[in-house]
Amino acid sequence: MFNIFRWTSKSLTRTMATAAQTVSKPYPFSKTAIILPEPYVSPPLPLVQGKGLMPYLQKNLTTPEKQTMLRELFGRHSAKRIYPGSIVGVTLEHAPFAFTGVVLAIRRRGIDTSMVLRNVIQRTGVEMQLFVNSPHVKTIKVVQKPPKGRMKRAKLFYLRHSPEKMSALAGSKKGTIA
Amino acid sequence: MLRLWTLKQKPHRNLILKCLHSSSNVAASTSFVSSNAPSPPTKWTPDSIRTGLIARKRGMTALWNDQGARLPVTVLQLENCQVTANIVTTRQDKSEYHAVQVAASDKPLKRTTRQMQGHFRKAKVNPKRIVKEFSITSDAHVPIGTTFSAIHFVPGQYVDVIAKSIGKGFQGGMKRWNFKGLRASHGVSVSHRSAGATGAHQDPGRIWPGKKMAARMGGQRITTQNLAVVRVDTSLNLIYLRGAVPGVDDAQVMIRDAKKLAAVGRHNQAKGLYEKVLPKGVDDLPFPAGTLEMAKTLPSIIEAPAYRVSPFVPRE
Repeated sequence: MFNIFRWTSKSLTRTMATAAQTVSKPYPFSKTAIILPEPYVSPPLPLVQGKGLMPYLQKNLTTPEKQTMLRELFGRHSAKRIYPGSIVGVTLEHAPFAFTGVVLAIRRRGIDTSMVLRNVIQRTGVEMQLFVNSPHVKTIKVVQKPPKGRMKRAKLFYLRHSPEKMSALAGSKKGTIA
Repeated sequence: MLRLWTLKQKPHRNLILKCLHSSSNVAASTSFVSSNAPSPPTKWTPDSIRTGLIARKRGMTALWNDQGARLPVTVLQLENCQVTANIVTTRQDKSEYHAVQVAASDKPLKRTTRQMQGHFRKAKVNPKRIVKEFSITSDAHVPIGTTFSAIHFVPGQYVDVIAKSIGKGFQGGMKRWNFKGLRASHGVSVSHRSAGATGAHQDPGRIWPGKKMAARMGGQRITTQNLAVVRVDTSLNLIYLRGAVPGVDDAQVMIRDAKKLAAVGRHNQAKGLYEKVLPKGVDDLPFPAGTLEMAKTLPSIIEAPAYRVSPFVPRE
């Protein structure tokens, strides 16, 4: 359980976390506190002075896997980015463990980036707002891209009131909803 | 009316006698600034009150804890927070007032007044932008010139944060005092957001002092209590608090141990409930303060786990 949710906080010049870290120093003030790996290098002086601190934290307060996911799937200029209107399948740690749905909205806020997926399961509309950085989100996969490459809106909340447009979006993939 | 908390303000009689005998006699209601008296390493007790720190509010972000729950956090950064004075004063009723004067955020020498230059020169620190005092118990004095570190706070403990709130300018009753305003229609003319009546009639024939009215809002000292320390990062001198903190980004804030929870801890200690003196997971607090030297011997990045059952596990 602990290994799954353990964060590896990064320093600037850091690559993948290598195994066989040196033994961490003891922390006498709390036995149950989580001691995260030490940064490889001491941070540069501008960061210690607060210059550019928040953008640095936005990038580095996550695992490298999540950073890649954020950059590739939710970066504004990435080739593999997710467009609203695409059908995306996610695997989760908690119920419902796998959820597929139409992307209604993408909210880009650095590490707080989230997206809203909508699906109709057993005649009930179900929406999930998934935070990309959450440790419960295991994988995100684009099942189908939107028709004609992209929709004419950034937020597709109108689909909540028009099931015919929803099913038109789903198209041929309607039968393969997880 | 007997107010127990006023009695508690005064230190124990033995302590007063100790202070009077140990150092030079202090005349009533005069303050002196004690020098670097080397004290033996002391340990935190439930009756001790530690000093606080001054930090800069850098912004807010989100962290996910070990159970996978999202926590909104405020990031506070210490900017060369140092002790400039130790204050011991005797009040008129012979009780002692102990305080640590803390200063933060270096400032260019030429922009510091001569008076403050002298004050900082005496403390042998760089000139600072903000100088504030934290009242403490007599055992929690910190040597002058000590640089504080984020290690002073333990992840899992609770803190109070004091800062100047965001200024809202001149605001009307609806925003300032949550007045309901008037109807949107049905004949209301040109006064939909006004306060309405301000008093009675000929008796009293005036407006009571303190009537809630439109005026400048915000820009005042506000204390937000009982914010949990989520993470501590000594490499960047960051303290992550769960929740929001008053003020704008890059504002100076004062952080100190939560007063009310510390009082609850003191009562539990007196009752014999030793497990409930400190918050769950916190075994001890750096005493008298968490310094830069202490931070070098301890891990850099420490996080508090969620001290509760996972909310993602379904319950019956």
